[in-house]
Amino acid sequence: MTEEIKKGKEHPLSIVINDAVKIFTDLGFEVAVGPELEDIWHNFFALNFPKDHPALDMQDTFYIKGQEGKVLRTHTSNVQIRYMEKFSKEGKEPPFAIIVPGKVFRNEATDAGHEMQFYQLEGLMVGDDISVANMKWVLLEFFKKILGKNVEIRVRPSFFPFVEPGFEVDIKHNGKWMELVGAGMVHPNVLENCGIDSRKYQGFAFGLGLDRIAMIKLSIPDIRLFYQGDLRLNQF
Amino acid sequence: MKISYNWLKWYIPDAPDADKLADVFTYHLCEVESIEKKGDDTIFDIKILPDRAHDLLSHQGIARELASLLNIKYVDPTPKYKIPHSASSGQAGLKIDIQSDKCRRYMGRIVRNVKVGLSPEWVIKHLESIGQRSINNMVDAANLVMFDCGQPVHAFDLDKMGETLIIRQAKDGEKLITLDNRDWKLKISDLVIADSSSVLAVAGIKGGKKPEVDDNTQNIILEVANFDPISIRKTAQVFNIVTDAKKRFENDLSSELGSYAMLELSALIYEMCPDAIFEDIVDVYPERQEIRKLSFSVKKISKILGLEVSVAEIEDILKRYNFEFSAKGGPASGWEITIPPMRLDLAIEEDMAEEIGRILGYDKVKEKIPHMSDMWKPKQNEIYSKILFARNKLLNDGYSEVMNTSFSNKGEVSVLASASDKNFLRVNLTDGLKENLKLNQLNAPLLGLSEIKIFEIGTVWCPDEEMHVAFGDKKGIKEMTLDQFVSEKSSSEEYGYFSAEKFLVLEPSPSQASSKEIFHTQKFKMWSLFPFIARDIAVWVPDIVESNQVHKIIKENAGDMAVRGPELFDEFKKDERISYAFRLVFQSFERTLTDVEINEVMTQISNKIKDNNSWQVR
Repeated sequence: MTEEIKKGKEHPLSIVINDAVKIFTDLGFEVAVGPELEDIWHNFFALNFPKDHPALDMQDTFYIKGQEGKVLRTHTSNVQIRYMEKFSKEGKEPPFAIIVPGKVFRNEATDAGHEMQFYQLEGLMVGDDISVANMKWVLLEFFKKILGKNVEIRVRPSFFPFVEPGFEVDIKHNGKWMELVGAGMVHPNVLENCGIDSRKYQGFAFGLGLDRIAMIKLSIPDIRLFYQGDLRLNQF
Repeated sequence: MKISYNWLKWYIPDAPDADKLADVFTYHLCEVESIEKKGDDTIFDIKILPDRAHDLLSHQGIARELASLLNIKYVDPTPKYKIPHSASSGQAGLKIDIQSDKCRRYMGRIVRNVKVGLSPEWVIKHLESIGQRSINNMVDAANLVMFDCGQPVHAFDLDKMGETLIIRQAKDGEKLITLDNRDWKLKISDLVIADSSSVLAVAGIKGGKKPEVDDNTQNIILEVANFDPISIRKTAQVFNIVTDAKKRFENDLSSELGSYAMLELSALIYEMCPDAIFEDIVDVYPERQEIRKLSFSVKKISKILGLEVSVAEIEDILKRYNFEFSAKGGPASGWEITIPPMRLDLAIEEDMAEEIGRILGYDKVKEKIPHMSDMWKPKQNEIYSKILFARNKLLNDGYSEVMNTSFSNKGEVSVLASASDKNFLRVNLTDGLKENLKLNQLNAPLLGLSEIKIFEIGTVWCPDEEMHVAFGDKKGIKEMTLDQFVSEKSSSEEYGYFSAEKFLVLEPSPSQASSKEIFHTQKFKMWSLFPFIARDIAVWVPDIVESNQVHKIIKENAGDMAVRGPELFDEFKKDERISYAFRLVFQSFERTLTDVEINEVMTQISNKIKDNNSWQVR
């Protein structure tokens, strides 16, 4: 009769998150989740941030009033720590591979490309000989599936406290290189902090912004559109 | 950091063209933010990574790195320096007293009979190439040394102060008038340089007005020092000051750099003021930087990178980078290297994997499928599965999904120092949904919906963190925890999956199931920011006429501004006639439409309909 849709319309971020999760679970990754309000051990120190690291400054991180050492997580890497802590406490030994889709928070001014909250997807794979070559394969596979099979990958040196070596991973899509992933080989201190023997095991970790992927994939011009509750966004 | 190509060429005359150099930076060292042609020079703005900021925030640092990376010649400038003869022969008038462990080394030197004036042209050119203004030869010499070798240095006017320098923590409330005439009130956490009567400078951050070098200055003290990076960063933060010196100190410079910097600074001043009289260098260096060693093996490097690296490749790199190395049990069992003092970033085997990897280039590492042992059996995540269940359930019931900010202007948990006025974390999803309903209700015709039904799944803090589900329409909103939702809305069989933590066969979400193929080609269409106008038109037609015939005529005559419709929203039959009611929505991307122009469109449609004798607009 009318064109009225029987089913509701999903938020575009949910569509992209579901897609991403499906791709990774098909590759053998397990989904893990964790708290958004986190302590500074899991958000920073277990991840090998030095005590005086600039990221700990109030201007970048939301600290919680009246709760010493609590922050809104600045990345989903806190779940790396929580997962590995539990894993080794249960007496288990690697390998394992997880992905963590979740909301993260940064204390920064908002514009078309920045929001105080956004979604990140963290990945972590640890085993006997999980290498940079494996990381490149996994990420390329993911981007082929989410953006199209013609994408290319390149890896450049970068630095994050919780990895060594650290990388910036660029993806070429529609003829343009874009910086989409921060990644690296899990720093041995991080493995040790979680009770995993860094002499026996190694692996990679990466983090990517899901809002950014959704914006690229669906040509959405402004990140702020995601959080306004306007159903004109739900076009898909 | 700005780097002049011509300046680099002093040290690496065989450097490749500027364009090619940009790629070398990008793939082997760090990001290039911009490249600018400036006369016959090219200026790179490069983003030195934090772990190399202690040795690469300088032209010499970059030149040395590039020389090793590209295996080209590095020209050591020291043999060209004019070395001043010391006039004091062990009788230096300068006394240095370090009273704080936040000062790791302090080198001072009295230079008499200097002449403050213009700098030589090459100095001015060098400084201007990287956007620095020439001030006078003394200030320029200090700046040049910093941008050349990375060590910040300072000069005091000796005649405006005592001959004893004390490096100590400030006293609470102690004051300093800075070079730029600001009054600073200091705290005990601030490291200062003082003489016996007052503070002369805040260490590594800001000079004081009192011992300022001016046009009449004749005798100076040169300072080349090394300070604790954390102390520098904290003080600079309090005074909200970012200087080139602060940036270098806070990144943990090597104390060993001081000797070279003093040499270069002295040679420069000697070149500028040939009649200057140099006294002995006073060097107080309480704790020498330790010599560190690092062991690593080709096997481990290859295993981390997933690339077979050869012994020859690694030894070649070690030689190019001038690492002292030995292989006691033969290269196959690994090397021990002595870490150069400037390379504070190297400490563990993984650091060498980075070093070897980036020098070879990560493009050499080919993608390889990971093989996980059978020991790994991924499990379904319970919370994530419940979220998927709730979302699919609500979508199927006709609710559309929204996401709102986690921040609110009221709540039980608040954040410190937010950039926004919303300092609290939300206690519910309902308040957000109410606002969304208002907004979307206004747009209902544009959305083609007769009724707005929405939901959100997300965290709230009351005060503990909980995952909530809320859904509703204008009649009301229901909100509950995710667990409650799942237990209320799932069949006993479905619920069993969650409670037993069994593998749940997840339903794909509706959008995935229905439009997987289309999804890859769909593009978002931004909506117009101008108001829309909705109009309805109902037409009586003989009952043999189908709605699409009417639809066609309306559509053909609706004009460019019809962004939605015609949508059939009502039909009923009476006697031998049918009434079809259609809705049209008009909107422009450029302006606000007027009723008058839309009336014209509707009249045009009505006239076309009346062309059929048996049709009648109601």
